[in-house]
Amino acid sequence: MLLPSFTYHRPGGLAEALAMLDGFGGQAKLLAGGTDLLVNMKHGKQAPAQLIDLDGLAELKASGSRGDALELGAGLKAAAIAGGLGGAAPQALAQGAGALGSPQVRNRASLGGNLVTARPAADMCVPLLALGARVALVSPAGERQVDLPEFFLGPGLTALHPSEVLTRVLLAKPRPGEGSGYGKLGLRKALEIPLVNVAAWLALEADGKTIKEARVALGAAAPTPMLSPGAAKALAGATAGDDAFAAAAFAAAADARPIDDHRGSAEYRRDMVAALTKRCLGQALAQARGN
Amino acid sequence: MSAAYDVIGSRVPRKDAAPKATGQAVFIEDLRFKGELAGALLQSPHAHALIKSIDVSKAKALPGVVEVITAADVPRVKYGVSPARYDEDLFAVNKVRYVGDEIAAVAAEDLETALKAAALIKVEYEPLPRLLSVEEATAEGAPWIHDEFPNNVCAEVHQEFGDVATAFKECDLIQEGRFVSKRQDAAFIEPNQCVAIYGQDGMLTLHSSTQVPHYVQRTVSMVTGLPMSKVRVVKPYVGGGFGPKAAATPIDLAASFLALRSGRPVRMAYTREQVFSFGRARHGFTHEMKIGVKKDGSLMALEHRATLDGGAYSSFGIATVYYAGSLLGGPYKLPNMKYDGRRIYTNKPACGAQRGHGGVIARALFEQQLDIIAERLGMDPVELRLQNMMETGDVTCNDLAMSSLGMRQCIEAVAQGSGWKQKKGALPKGKGIGIACGFFVSGAGYPIYRSETYHCTVTIKADEDGGGVKVFTAAAEIGQGSDTTMAIIAAEALGIPYDMVRIESGDTDFGIDLGAYSSRTTLMTGHATKEAAENLKEVILGELAGELGIDRRRLDIKRGLVKIAGEAVDIAPLRVRYQKEHRGWLSQPEGGQLTFNEASRLACLRRGTLVATGKYKPPVLGGKFKGAAVGTSPAYGCSAQVAEVSVDMETGQITVERVTDAHDCGQAINLTSVEAQMQGSVAMGLGEALFEEVKFDEAGRVMNPSLGEYHIPTIMDMPAVDCIVVESGEPNGPFGAKEVGEGAIMPTIPAILNAVRDAVGLTIDETPLTPERIYMALKKAK
Ligand SMILES: Cc1cc2nc3c(=O)[nH]c(=O)nc-3n(C[C@H](O)[C@H](O)[C@H](O)COP(=O)(O)OP(=O)(O)OC[C@H]3O[C@@H](n4cnc5c(N)ncnc54)[C@H](O)[C@@H]3O)c2cc1C
Repeated sequence: MLLPSFTYHRPGGLAEALAMLDGFGGQAKLLAGGTDLLVNMKHGKQAPAQLIDLDGLAELKASGSRGDALELGAGLKAAAIAGGLGGAAPQALAQGAGALGSPQVRNRASLGGNLVTARPAADMCVPLLALGARVALVSPAGERQVDLPEFFLGPGLTALHPSEVLTRVLLAKPRPGEGSGYGKLGLRKALEIPLVNVAAWLALEADGKTIKEARVALGAAAPTPMLSPGAAKALAGATAGDDAFAAAAFAAAADARPIDDHRGSAEYRRDMVAALTKRCLGQALAQARGN
Repeated sequence: MSAAYDVIGSRVPRKDAAPKATGQAVFIEDLRFKGELAGALLQSPHAHALIKSIDVSKAKALPGVVEVITAADVPRVKYGVSPARYDEDLFAVNKVRYVGDEIAAVAAEDLETALKAAALIKVEYEPLPRLLSVEEATAEGAPWIHDEFPNNVCAEVHQEFGDVATAFKECDLIQEGRFVSKRQDAAFIEPNQCVAIYGQDGMLTLHSSTQVPHYVQRTVSMVTGLPMSKVRVVKPYVGGGFGPKAAATPIDLAASFLALRSGRPVRMAYTREQVFSFGRARHGFTHEMKIGVKKDGSLMALEHRATLDGGAYSSFGIATVYYAGSLLGGPYKLPNMKYDGRRIYTNKPACGAQRGHGGVIARALFEQQLDIIAERLGMDPVELRLQNMMETGDVTCNDLAMSSLGMRQCIEAVAQGSGWKQKKGALPKGKGIGIACGFFVSGAGYPIYRSETYHCTVTIKADEDGGGVKVFTAAAEIGQGSDTTMAIIAAEALGIPYDMVRIESGDTDFGIDLGAYSSRTTLMTGHATKEAAENLKEVILGELAGELGIDRRRLDIKRGLVKIAGEAVDIAPLRVRYQKEHRGWLSQPEGGQLTFNEASRLACLRRGTLVATGKYKPPVLGGKFKGAAVGTSPAYGCSAQVAEVSVDMETGQITVERVTDAHDCGQAINLTSVEAQMQGSVAMGLGEALFEEVKFDEAGRVMNPSLGEYHIPTIMDMPAVDCIVVESGEPNGPFGAKEVGEGAIMPTIPAILNAVRDAVGLTIDETPLTPERIYMALKKAK
């Protein structure tokens, strides 16, 4: 239970960090808040010889918009995102960040760390999936952008190459007529890994009634955070409201592939996917209608 | 504040408030000694296995390793909590009985090396069938975990008071129920840790995070063979105990042996995972009850069976299985009671004592059944309880004497405070209100080992300059506030302000004190402190009377001033003497009355150092039947709570919105501390009711050995708690005080159970009340 020994590096900029990562050739791990990595190291699950601390890199802390896109630095802390980033953060993401851990954990936990750890029910991964986010992955060779459904490969497994740094998360800037919502179910009200979590996003037609497009993302329902194609299909073109949401909830539960474990049964999780889907869609609709 | 007292019943700040708030309080982790070695344990990865061989050669050869010890290196002395069941060896002899059973210990120059060395010890095992449940352990042909205990029965209790069978025949209504609870962890914030030091003078000093320095001293002495006078146990500040720290741990003993052998200080600490795998917290209970009542609601008879999943060793378990029965004797008049309890050995960490020892789940089922009875009789649950409750002077069928019992005040206070009348029966689906009561001992009537010893002794010494006093007690401040309590009692008894009292505690050099368990310290150590303070006052006033040439009975001390009854006495000569000694001091005593400082200084000048002592042990208590000792106490605290909950009918999630809590503590010594115990009890009971369960995999390993996965409530889960302090004035307590430490938890689980039942219309017979359990019950009922 002791932290294994390692050499600590604090690069002055992204380029230096990338060079270091490249130089250590697989011996190094990137360190952000350390709330996953250091815990895993203490438990002996990982023992990197070199740690490269990204926490000081201003390049990873920025957030802002570029055209229709919203860009969030991977180094942003959950606490800042939960605070709304001056109104820029989509509702479901701010809710997810606010539901992560405790105030102490949120002060350390980063957006990038949450995505790269890629837990099936991570509190920021599920909302970002519903929000249709992409990630920017940078290596000495340049940058590539990957949609989240292609980024999550399995529990703790992502499309990130060992030589890459996740620098930014890119999403569409929230527009009027759109809304999102997040729901998390656990035993207690804080410091809780979700038993099930759901995020929903929807965009209304100009009539304010018809759903133009929607996404429902599910956590703890599969080895990775997943989108429910059935829910998206049930919602597209439907009139927003209880009937459509019930159909979407039913479809989401059918898409979910939860397991039985000591935290909960598959049956309960499936039913909760439905219950939370309805609630999240309700929140998303309320936001889309501006109330 | 009670008019009669100057300090008692006030809200003076705790003695440890500033050091803890500023981080200056010293815990074991903060103590460092020259030349410390780090110790580590080798623990069994198997739940049940024979040990074929142990090879320590590689561990010994590792550079930096100083000592490696196994069962072969220490005396074969069985120990445990109760002498009737000393069933533990420090290191496994031929056999391991749970995942975590201790096999060897290492001391090395640093912890990394010690851990590495422990991992280098080679043990050959022959696995045995694992018995991970009561069912497996009691199945036909199951192997015996201990050869001495056939069929894995650790302890059995069979008691009958009155005549249950006949009573049932006279009953109009019989209610039967069953309840299952899960093993708990006490989740104290500071994992166990200790440092053992063996001095050239032949003294072994053990600094340990414990609730019971005295019992640790005894056990270390017995197991090492050192005389008790050569073993000193010192407890600095402790980050909580709640029961599991009420006995010597394997690290206390292993560090002692390693220090004895190496001659160097040895530190050993449990990680959080090891805290879980050591266990010793609340058992998993299964209770079955049959309760008979008359049409008018009078309770007539209880037939009760309990099974405790004990784990691999006895720990406190014998007391637990007795308490599980005896604590249903009150707080209701119950003329006939039959109890059959058994505690079964299984291949899991031993269970032991935890806040509300043995009684919590029995109470939960009983109170739940009362609500069902009330419903079946068409009575209000509050009325049913008021009708049956005991009053001061009542004696239970198992001979527990209620020398004070503010049960009625508690019930009426929570009914009124919660708005029971308006709410009960009037809440919408998904909202519920529930009431429950409870009572608990105010200190065990007997020590854990048979002895005529005083349960506590206290010494108070006056400062030579007269400026205050210092209390020395071996009592264990573990966060519950006993230092503050004793300082208040000493101040009140001496008639001086609270801040003139300093206190040193938790050191076996200061006398005997059985420690912080069974909610005993306020009543017992409180008596001893009061007596010591009164004796010191007697000495001081005796000297003063001599000096003034007046009758001692004319003198008293109040609020730091000497009161002289009758005609005026010239105090000027004494004051001048005192002032002469303090030339140059800016502040001098003034006013027409002598101060405590002057009187105490004068007494010191006449007699030298002033020391007085006090002591306490309870009078002979209880009945003559087998097991009568468990449950007897000089006094009983009681309480009632009303819980208000809302249940999310779509997810099964329960929110406890409000708890109205009344507790009869006899007399509050410090009101804030009483309320803190009440709040803490609600938190602990709420966690147990809703979230907490230590889970095991099929190999017998704890699956959730962290505070991330073992869910105690966070502040976000806590309801508003309205604390109502009831003071019935306990004749057997110091200044009328009795317990609040454990009794306060008794009603929490059943109040929540009854509120949930009210909210969803279903009787849930298993804790924790997870969202899934509630949701599935609702789904099934549909
Ligand atoms: C007590 C506690 C409670 C928690 N509760 C929750 C919870 O409720 N919900 C939840 O979702 N999570 C929770 N977590 C997990 C954790 O806090 C989050 O996953 C957090 O977002 C991880 O971020 P970090 O900055 O600490 O990552 P780190 O631990 O620093 O890194 C995690 C992984 O990501 C990699 N990494 C980090 N940044 C980058 C980058 N920019 N580019 C490439 N790789 C990178 C690291 O190399 C490492 O492999 C909890 C953790 C703890 C200790």
